[in-house]
Parts: sequence; C-alpha cells; structure tokens
Amino acid sequence: MQQPVQENYTISGYFVFFIIGVCQAAANIFNFQARIVRDAGQDSWISIIIIGLGLNVIIWMIYKMLGNPNKDVIDLHQTIFGKYIGNAISLLIVGYFFFMALFCFRAYMEIILVWVFPTAKVWTMAAFFICIFYYVISGGFRVIAGFSFFYLFLTPLLWWLYFPVKQGEFHNLLPMFNHSVAELLQGSRASGFIFFGLEALLIYFPFLKEPEKHSKWAHFAILFTTFKYVVLIIVTLMYFSQGLLQHALWPTLAMTKIIEFSFLARFEYLFIFLWMLVIVPTVCIYIWCCTRILKRVTVLKPRITLPAMLAILFIAANTFKERTQIVLLENFINKIGFYFIFIYIPILFIISIFAIRRVQSN
Amino acid sequence: MLPNLKQALRASMKSDDFMQTTVVIQDKQLFLSFYKTLVSHEQLHHDLLSFLMIPNEGIDTLDDLKALIPLENITLSSDLTEIRKSVSEGSIFLQLDDGSNDGLIVDISDPMLGHRINNDTENEYSVLGPKVGFVENIDINLSLLRRGLGTEKLIFEEHKIGTLSRTRVVIAYMEDVTNPQHINTARQRLLDLDFDVVFETALLEQLITDNSNSPFPLFLSSERLDRIMYSLINGEVAIICDGSPSVITGPTTIFSFIISPEDYYLPWIMGSFFRLIRYFGVAFSILATSFYVAILTFHYNIIPRDLLGPIIESRSNVPFPPLLEVLFLEITIELLREAGSRLPTKVSQTLGIVGGIILGQAAVAAGLTSNILLIIVSLSALASFTTPIFKISNTIRFLRFPLIVLAYLWGGLGIMMGLILILGHLLRLKSLGSPYIVPLFPFRYNSFSDSIVRSSFTMLYNRFFTTRPLTQQRYTVRKNKDIGDDYNNE
Repeated sequence: MQQPVQENYTISGYFVFFIIGVCQAAANIFNFQARIVRDAGQDSWISIIIIGLGLNVIIWMIYKMLGNPNKDVIDLHQTIFGKYIGNAISLLIVGYFFFMALFCFRAYMEIILVWVFPTAKVWTMAAFFICIFYYVISGGFRVIAGFSFFYLFLTPLLWWLYFPVKQGEFHNLLPMFNHSVAELLQGSRASGFIFFGLEALLIYFPFLKEPEKHSKWAHFAILFTTFKYVVLIIVTLMYFSQGLLQHALWPTLAMTKIIEFSFLARFEYLFIFLWMLVIVPTVCIYIWCCTRILKRVTVLKPRITLPAMLAILFIAANTFKERTQIVLLENFINKIGFYFIFIYIPILFIISIFAIRRVQSN
Repeated sequence: MLPNLKQALRASMKSDDFMQTTVVIQDKQLFLSFYKTLVSHEQLHHDLLSFLMIPNEGIDTLDDLKALIPLENITLSSDLTEIRKSVSEGSIFLQLDDGSNDGLIVDISDPMLGHRINNDTENEYSVLGPKVGFVENIDINLSLLRRGLGTEKLIFEEHKIGTLSRTRVVIAYMEDVTNPQHINTARQRLLDLDFDVVFETALLEQLITDNSNSPFPLFLSSERLDRIMYSLINGEVAIICDGSPSVITGPTTIFSFIISPEDYYLPWIMGSFFRLIRYFGVAFSILATSFYVAILTFHYNIIPRDLLGPIIESRSNVPFPPLLEVLFLEITIELLREAGSRLPTKVSQTLGIVGGIILGQAAVAAGLTSNILLIIVSLSALASFTTPIFKISNTIRFLRFPLIVLAYLWGGLGIMMGLILILGHLLRLKSLGSPYIVPLFPFRYNSFSDSIVRSSFTMLYNRFFTTRPLTQQRYTVRKNKDIGDDYNNE
C-alpha cells in the first residue's frame, strides 16, 4: 500500500469539477456532431442525455471502489490480481493514457494546420508545445490542476451560440422522438467519446483532499459536460441539415465562422487559439497519469519518464502524414476508450467488492 | 605581559581617520579612541566630555566614570575583538591612565550622519494620501512604523546580515495576526544567508526569493509608509534593511502589484474603476504590439473590411515587415525610458519632448513606421506606467518582447503559447512559500472583494484570506445611526 500523498501536494476535492471538465471539453468539441447524428439523427441530443446520466453511475463506482483502503487503481489492481499481474495491467493503462494524449494533441494540431497555418511545419510547433507540456507537468499535479481551472474562463465563449441559433431552423429538430430505443442507444454508444477523460480520476484520486465529501463535484462535471454538449448538438442540428452535417469536418468551427464584429472578423481564429487553454491541461493530465503509473509500478522516477514520454509523444505526433491516419487513430481511441470506461470499470467495480470483502475478513 | 590595550588598538587600526587623543579631566588623564568619521566633534563634546567636566569627587575607577555619563549604551570590556568591532561601528573607547587593560565602550555615534531625513515618495506618487516615505536610516523607518501602528502587537525582530557590512535587518510583523509560518520562513531564509555586503532590500529580496529565475517580483517593495502598514495589518511580513529606503513585504500575490493605496482613499466606485483601468493597461501594454505583429503578418483576414483600408494606407510606404517595424519602435521607446531614468529631472523632460514627439513624427514621415503602430506603441508605453509599483512595470516591459517574437513566428497561436507559458510560470511561482496568484488559484472567492475591484469598506472587514492570518476580522461594520431612511419615514 502506498504512502498517503503529502498534504501540500494535494488539491481541494472540488477541483475534480475542473479536471474532469477540461478533459471532456478537449478536441472532440469541434467534430463530435458528425459521428453522433449517423445513428440517432435529430434525436441525438437524447442519446447524449442518456449516456451523460449513465456516466454518473460510473463516477459513483469509481468513488466507491477507490478511497478505503485502496487509494488508486494501481493499488486496486495489486489487491485484486496480485502484485505482478496487477502491475502488468497498470502498465497497459500507461499505453491507454498515452494514446489519449497523442490523439488530443494531434487532433488540435490538425485543426491548426487545416484552419490557420496550412504551410507550417508540424515539428516546429510540436516542439514548442512539448516544451510547454514539460514546463507545466514538471510543476507537479497542483500546477496541472490550476491550469484546468482556467478553462472555466472560456465558458463565456458559449454565448457565440447566439449567432448560429439566430440563423438556425427549429424545424430541423422535428419530428422529435421518432427513433427507436435501439437507435438511441446506438447513438449513445457512438457519443461515448465526448466523455473521455473522467477515467484519469482513477490515477489522481489520492491527490484530492477529502474526495468522498466532494464527490458531488464529479457528478456536476459530468452534468455540466452533458448540458454543454446537448446545447451544442441542438444548435448544430438547427444550423445544419443532416445531410450536410455528415460531411462537415468541424461543424463547431464552421458555425463560429459566421460571427463578425466591427473590430473582428473570422471569430473562429480566436476560438481555436483560446482552445489551447483546454488542450494543454488535457494532454498534461494524460501524460502526468502515465508518469505517475510508471513511478508507482516501476522504479523509474518521473525525472526520467517525463522527458522520455514527451520525446515519444513528439516523434509519434510527427509520424502522422494524412488526415485518414488521424481518423484511424480516432476510431481506435473511441473503441478502447469505450471499452475501458463502460466495460472495464464496471467489471473492476464488481470484482473489487468481493476482493475488498475478502481482504477485510482476513 | 600583554601590550597595552591602547597600543594594540593603534596597531590594528591603520586607517588615518582613527583618532586617539588624551583628555585631562581634573587630575586624571583619559584616553579616547574613535573614528572621527563616525563620531562628530559636536557630539563628542556635547554628549560626553561636557558631563565629565562637571566638578565631582574624583574619578578613580571606570565605574565612577560610567556613573558620570548619562548614556545607556555603555559596556565595560577588555576584549580587543569586541572593542575593535564596536569602535568600527561608531562607538568611543574610553580608558583611564592607570595601566589597567580594560575600558568603557560608549556608543554615541550619530545615526543620522550623512542621511536624508524625509522622503516624498516621488517614485510611488499618489494625489491623495500621505506622502511619507521611508528613508535610508532604519531607526527612522522603524519609528515611522511604530508611530503608525501604535500597538504592542507590532513586533520588530532584528538580525545582522552580511559578513562584511553587518547590516541591521528587521523582520516586522503583527503578533496574533501574521501566520507564524511566514515569519519562520522569512527568518530562516535570512539567517541561512551568506553574503558580504547588503546594500538594499531589493538585493536582499533576490537572495531570499523563492525563485530567482523569474521576471516577476516575488516580494512587494514599496517606499510608502501607508502601503507597508496596510501589508502588515493584513498579516504579511515586512523586511526592513538599514540603508535602504524601500521595504519589502511577503507573501504577496501578483494582484497586489496592481493595487495603489489611493484606491482606498477614493470612494469604492472610483477606486474599483481606476483599478480596472490599470488591469486593462497591463493587458494592453503586454499584448497590443504582439497583436499588431500577429494580425499584420498572418491574420489580416480577421480585420473587418472597413478597418483594413486605414491600416493598409498607413503601412503602404513602410518597407519593413511588421516585426522589424515593431521592434524598431519598441526599442526606441525603451531607450527613451532608460535614458530618461538616468538623467536629471530637468534634462529628461526635454528629452521626452525631443524623443517622443519629434522622433516619432520624423519616423513616420521618413516611412520607417506606420502611424497606427506609433499610436499603439506609445499607448502601450503609457499603459505600462499605470502600474503603481516600479518592479512590475519592468516585468511588463520585458514580457512584451518574447511575445512579439512568438507572434512573428506563429501569429495568434504564438501569442497564446506565450501566454500559456506565462500562466504556467505564474502557477508554479511561490512567494515565501505561498501561491503567487491567489485568489485565482487556489480559488478563494471571498478574497475577490479586494483584488480585481475594491469593494466598499462594509465588505472589507475581513483580512485577505490569501495570507492565512491568525485573526480573520479586521474591524466590525457599524451602521451610522444618524443616516435616516428617507424612503420609509414619510
């Protein structure tokens, strides 16, 4: 069993609201619509509500199985599966978080390359980003948590939705409720990826002060994300026709493009640049989780693993040449993320109930 | 037999201003050893010798001598090292001519010798409020503080720092208010120091700072008495150093550098408004020119059509890329500022006119820069002067340049990268072990009543949560009873 994290490295329990929220706001917000409407059409917003509410159960499971006596998922693995198998499974999660970071990072770079700087060299920008990541992560978890807090200042940006709503067509949402339950659930499954990021809670759980007392904030984070995406999908459905939407690459950006002020045209530039405030903490959280697991499972210090991880991230981000490769990665991420959150965590929860009972009776 | 103390003293004090004289009082001979540069002639006669001249029963021992001198700082000593040290600090060594190897150390040095007595806070001027500033002499500074906060709760803790200078450094704090953690941190860092001569608190600040590789000042330094008093009553630790007219306080936050004491002397609406103006000035000063570079290099399509015309028109004759144009003007402004601060006041006024107006106009006429850029650069220079503390305005001056270069490399993306790096840096910074950007992170919403805006005094009765004071409440709010309710009393 690990030592409890020292008081001055922990953060208040309510910070899960920001950390979960920022991960779920990351790169997906620009292009999640096209994937979802395929199954549930104009009722996709119901799909998102279903999965958003369902996720609260997952959060409840995480808070239930962590805490006493297991502090994080690495401990849990060791308790359930024994030291060696448990550690092996924990190491697999390193790969999972790394792919998450890679996707987040590369998807954002792709937006910049397509939308802002078509001629820019990927590696120069990536190198500078890697420096930022290194600087932030080496500040420790508190700094990363502080970073995630600042995404809240982007919330006023949601007011831009006023412009597409003004031009939108409410009839696009009608007829409501004409999809079968199976179709809605299919849509829910497709939209699972917009909620990725909450699984990092399994790793940073011991860094929260009085986590059980503040568990409501994790639920609020999920509800806030659900609300945000439901609003966004409704506005998108009003603004686009469904045929057009399926062929739009970044519907969110296409909608921001129409905004114009007397001092500012091309509002989406501002939107893309400010979104870095979300991407940087998200990638940092994932990479931090990688180094944290490696530190706990192996003897490797974060001083070594962090530069190594970032170097691999840098190389991996540069190997992508075409958009189709990123789409492949995205499909892969969506699959493993879905299985991790919706299959693996419940299974782990059920096993842990018996395992903990066994340990306590001994 | 040891050599005579007097001769030993003579042998070790080689400086020409070291004096040894003999004074005959009644029938006794008296040896005096002192530095004439430290003890003024007038003091020697007025404070010491005049008392010895009074007729008395005769001086046989040093104790008789001691009884005659009405000063409290008198010690009997025969230790050569101690005598040497105190004579070097301005004491007089008195010896009777009876061959004995001890004497009296009398401290009559004049602390005000060569010091100015008042300071009009010209560097941190405010229209309202007291214009009392600290001076180079630590005793005057301490007495100013003591008179300002007339309470036994105000504690001065004196240390001698500097292996050569043995400078008096005082840690001041309010008992029962200041968190002992801050006091211990400050004391520990000061005592762990090994440095030869401490000239200034600004120098001390760099030695005891949490992160010396940062452009941001991690201690608030001020020459204003009211500002330091305000920091003290809010539970901060003040460090006062002999020979320095500025006092540093910590733990501080980045927001306190934007606060001016005048905010509290104006009604809260005015105070908040001016404070917001200052925040805007800081943001404008850091970002304006880098936005110009980013927009004109990459994102000319984000300028609306009606605005594009004037910009193109004013830039049409400029042969340089925006980066060079901006750097040329920014460096000119920095040169003006640097020259202005090194010159006597009268000359620098003339220089401002010549440099600012004539040079700017000529640069536009010669086609070196555009009119619009001239406006932006001079506005951002003006905006950087709105900060009440000199140190943060230096930081703002400096931060502009990396942002301009980043804007040239990657446009708006580069600016955002720079800002994120600054934000990451701010999140990592600590002042005396406390986070630097509270109340923003860790988020303390009840401290926002006095950070971005200055609320009414009916809401400021609590101390800043950010310094974790032992006593939370500063005062109780009482409603003035004679203010009637005009609406309900008909």
